[in-house]
Amino acid sequence: MSEPMLAVRHTTGADGPYWRALAAGRVELPRCAGCGRWHWPAVFRCGECGSWDQQWHAVEPEGTVFSWTRTWHAFDGSEKIGLPFVSLVVELPQCGGRRLLGLLEGEAGGLRIGAAVRARVAETEIWGERIPALRWTLSGASS
Amino acid sequence: MTRFNARVAVAGVGLRQYKRAQAPLPERGVLVRAIVDACEDAGFDPAEVDGFVAYGDDKNEPVRLMSDLGTKELCWSSQVWGGGGGGIAGAFGHAAAAISSGQASAVIVFRTLVQSNSGRLSGAVMAHHLNDHLLGAGLISPAQPCALRAQRLFEHHQVPRSVTEELVRASYYHGARNPNAVSYGKELDLDAYRTARWIAEPFRLFDCSRENDGAGALLLVSAERARDLRKKPVHLVGVAQGAGKGWGDLLENDDDYASAGFASVARRLWAQTGLTPDDIDCAQLYENFSAQGIASLIDHGFCNYENVAEFVRFENLIAPGGTLPVNTAGGNFAEGFIHGIGMAVEAVRQLRGESANPVPGARTCLLAGGPGAPTVSSAIFSNEVIN
Repeated sequence: MSEPMLAVRHTTGADGPYWRALAAGRVELPRCAGCGRWHWPAVFRCGECGSWDQQWHAVEPEGTVFSWTRTWHAFDGSEKIGLPFVSLVVELPQCGGRRLLGLLEGEAGGLRIGAAVRARVAETEIWGERIPALRWTLSGASS
Repeated sequence: MTRFNARVAVAGVGLRQYKRAQAPLPERGVLVRAIVDACEDAGFDPAEVDGFVAYGDDKNEPVRLMSDLGTKELCWSSQVWGGGGGGIAGAFGHAAAAISSGQASAVIVFRTLVQSNSGRLSGAVMAHHLNDHLLGAGLISPAQPCALRAQRLFEHHQVPRSVTEELVRASYYHGARNPNAVSYGKELDLDAYRTARWIAEPFRLFDCSRENDGAGALLLVSAERARDLRKKPVHLVGVAQGAGKGWGDLLENDDDYASAGFASVARRLWAQTGLTPDDIDCAQLYENFSAQGIASLIDHGFCNYENVAEFVRFENLIAPGGTLPVNTAGGNFAEGFIHGIGMAVEAVRQLRGESANPVPGARTCLLAGGPGAPTVSSAIFSNEVIN
């Protein structure tokens, strides 16, 4: 309720509503009002049905691991994340299988493709900039 | 096998490669050297070059080269979109379009990279594609999205991890025998490969390409004109670039996620040339990372998820006797890496019989461009055409 607004760098693309929602602690994704298709990345116009009416819906950030990598090398800019860290691609079945990204936090023991995960909204610091981002937790793991 | 009616040919090549941060000249100077080398190779006056094509966000705008080269008239300058090596083969398509349509007559395809001018390649490539969605997940280097796709290739599609070792060994085998390669005289130590430090799982250090300073340039002219120049022409017999629906810059939402993105490009390349993978005598297979090289072979139809381990065996991949010798100068892993331009130069040298690792009787060479990039491209070269 009293969660502070996070700073957002980019709100002018087709995905502007995603960033504004994320900064307020929510996950919203766009669905075409013309044909019902979930679009991600966001679009201005649905290339399938031609509709310009893209509506943003609140989405529970829950899904399954589509793929993962654990980074060990200290790439420039990622110093504040702390090594090693796990990046996830997560498939959201409730959004037509669209995929979101994010870091894994907590236990990684059950990490595998297909594992159930759930996210909260946090921030990732890269090159000194704080970016609103999802933090995923394996279901059944303690964060 | 079909003989080709190709309209353009590579007439000259030049390659200047240095250890990272050790180029003797700033970037434009190194590039001019490579272009003049390519012209001398062909016996062609650099002032007569009237077109230029690059890829991968090269910083050297062709109009700025005119004073160094004595260019009489600039008729064509273009670059393939995309920050990675995906556009390398597509650059030859630009050159062919320019020459075939009469808009230019002598076109240089080039790529230059000198760290003190353009910074680290990995950073430049990623800067083109980075956004806050990727950064928020800690994805800051090309190795990581490629690692995500490799993990899917191994864990979900059950491609055996051992195939990457076979490919890396083949590149190093050729590099060790190429006096111009960074790894000349150095065989890959398999223990070192298997226990090297992790970069981003499933990649260890030697699953990743190098970065070098330098420049490469290839001179293209009409097939007819090439016959009168110094070296044996190497013809461009087919080229395709682009992306199929469901592939691209999609925040890791690509349909065939573990692939290298070549499905539509490979289909068009085979249809355009009437060739099949069986007709290819050797391949310069751009490997930014080991698993992406494997995915590229699968995408081009040399093997599939089920039989990949039968095809991708060290013995199959090396000159002179392998079924498909790949990266015969050492490739991006072992020859050196100037954003892949060395692989295009090797395709030409191989078909001229100038390779350090010759493939006897080779008539065709596939240049498979940077895999996994949003826009990818491939080309086929041959030393035989209908005259």
